[in-house]
Amino acid sequence: MSEPALNEDQRDALQEVANLAMGQAATRLAQLLDSFIELSVPRVQVVAASDAAQALRDMTGIQESVSAVRQSFRSDIKGEALVICRSGGIEQLCSLVNDPYPSSTYEKVSQQELIFDVANVLTGACVSCILDQLGRTPVFSPPGLLGEAMSLDDVFQPGALAWQAALLVEVNFALEDESFRAHLVMLMPEESIRHMNHALDALLTSL
Amino acid sequence: MNVPAASLSDLVVERVGFGIFVLDREMNVLMWNRFMQDHSGLSAEQVVGKSIFTSCPELPRVWLTRKLESVFQLGSFAFSSWEQRPYLFKFDHDRPITGGVDYMQQDCTFMPLTRDREVVAVCVTISDVTHVSIVQREREEAVAKLQEYADRDGLTGIANRRYFEARLRDEYARWQRYGGDMSVLLFDLDHFKKINDQFGHVVGDTVLREMAQRVAQVVRVQDTFGRFGGEEFALLLPCTTLDEAMLVAEKIRHTIGDTPVDVQSVRVPVTASVGGAAARVGVPNYDVLINEADAALYSAKRQGRNRSVAFI
Repeated sequence: MSEPALNEDQRDALQEVANLAMGQAATRLAQLLDSFIELSVPRVQVVAASDAAQALRDMTGIQESVSAVRQSFRSDIKGEALVICRSGGIEQLCSLVNDPYPSSTYEKVSQQELIFDVANVLTGACVSCILDQLGRTPVFSPPGLLGEAMSLDDVFQPGALAWQAALLVEVNFALEDESFRAHLVMLMPEESIRHMNHALDALLTSL
Repeated sequence: MNVPAASLSDLVVERVGFGIFVLDREMNVLMWNRFMQDHSGLSAEQVVGKSIFTSCPELPRVWLTRKLESVFQLGSFAFSSWEQRPYLFKFDHDRPITGGVDYMQQDCTFMPLTRDREVVAVCVTISDVTHVSIVQREREEAVAKLQEYADRDGLTGIANRRYFEARLRDEYARWQRYGGDMSVLLFDLDHFKKINDQFGHVVGDTVLREMAQRVAQVVRVQDTFGRFGGEEFALLLPCTTLDEAMLVAEKIRHTIGDTPVDVQSVRVPVTASVGGAAARVGVPNYDVLINEADAALYSAKRQGRNRSVAFI
């Protein structure tokens, strides 16, 4: 793994933070979505942004095209969060999420609005909870669609990436009868990784 | 000068160029800034302390309630973009003449206001993005126009070969999947090289334009008529048997040949040869279909021109 990496203690601490955060996020999402979403224990990995596509492919086994929604978050730890899933996967999730609201068909919600809503809820819950564990309250930008049918390599174009490091957080969202997998990726500049390292150290010494 | 920062914040919120208001979990308005007042015509006094739906009954109730609830429950931001939902409030915008949109286009942000990790209220901001939406619409129109030009033949204005082949490929794929009928006609102006040599390229070009125009007027909307190159044209006929296609071929041949073209005070007689072929089981791809129509066209030429021949 290339720089900037976490030392072993920091990595363990980050895994623990992510575990706690996902527990929190799952509880909140369950309340919001009528308790039919379950979040798995996340797998956490820090890689160079240029290796992110390959690392994510190794983690998830995704070869086909994906949909990706991006959103930036900001505190002293800042960066971009991507929600990535197989093309069509978000629509599948949307159809389930939309289900409790058939009565409001007169207030029409477009497919794209739903995609943004769902991605925003996932990002918001997961990123907020992770940063909350580190004592930060992030501010979020509106979500934007990177693409609905793109290859993982196009998501992480080395030339277009401003961030050097990617924190890969693989989260599985399990639905009632179908299994839907989405992957959350946090891209951060070196500066933010450093802030995160300090925050993790502070967390470790406070234990 | 010693103005407390808190009161400065109030002044900023009052004067800032976007809408700011705050709602509690029961959808009661707790704050309503000047922008909201100016655009809604409702003062803070009229609105604060009441449900927002009392003051603004036209708001999408289910949608807004759900949005607010997600912020209260998750403690994270929520958003709404003009691209999916053009506006939340029916506000006037400041481009009534040049705008071309009905209401102010709005981006909305729903921010959790937290105290001790508890969301106590939600602040909603409304940004006027009318100008962004207008610029974007103009760009989309420009792109559509460019796309249109990219699909057209410069001289005749009908479909170019690239577009024709793309349509043929799609139509062929549809036929392979759903069956039915589809035919293709290829036709060629007879002895066109002689027209060019004898009257010059300007006359030649005029003949091409005139013929393209005449034929374009007799084809159906669902057909695709394109210039295949030089003096060769192609017509894609969906849901058409070979027999029907050959009737069309004769119609085209008469459209072209019955009246000579008058150009620069010379009368240029023009005739055409037509070859037709239809998709059927055993034709592996659309290239073969084109080759068969081409073979029929060649046969029409060899039999003496100014005639239609079907590939059998």
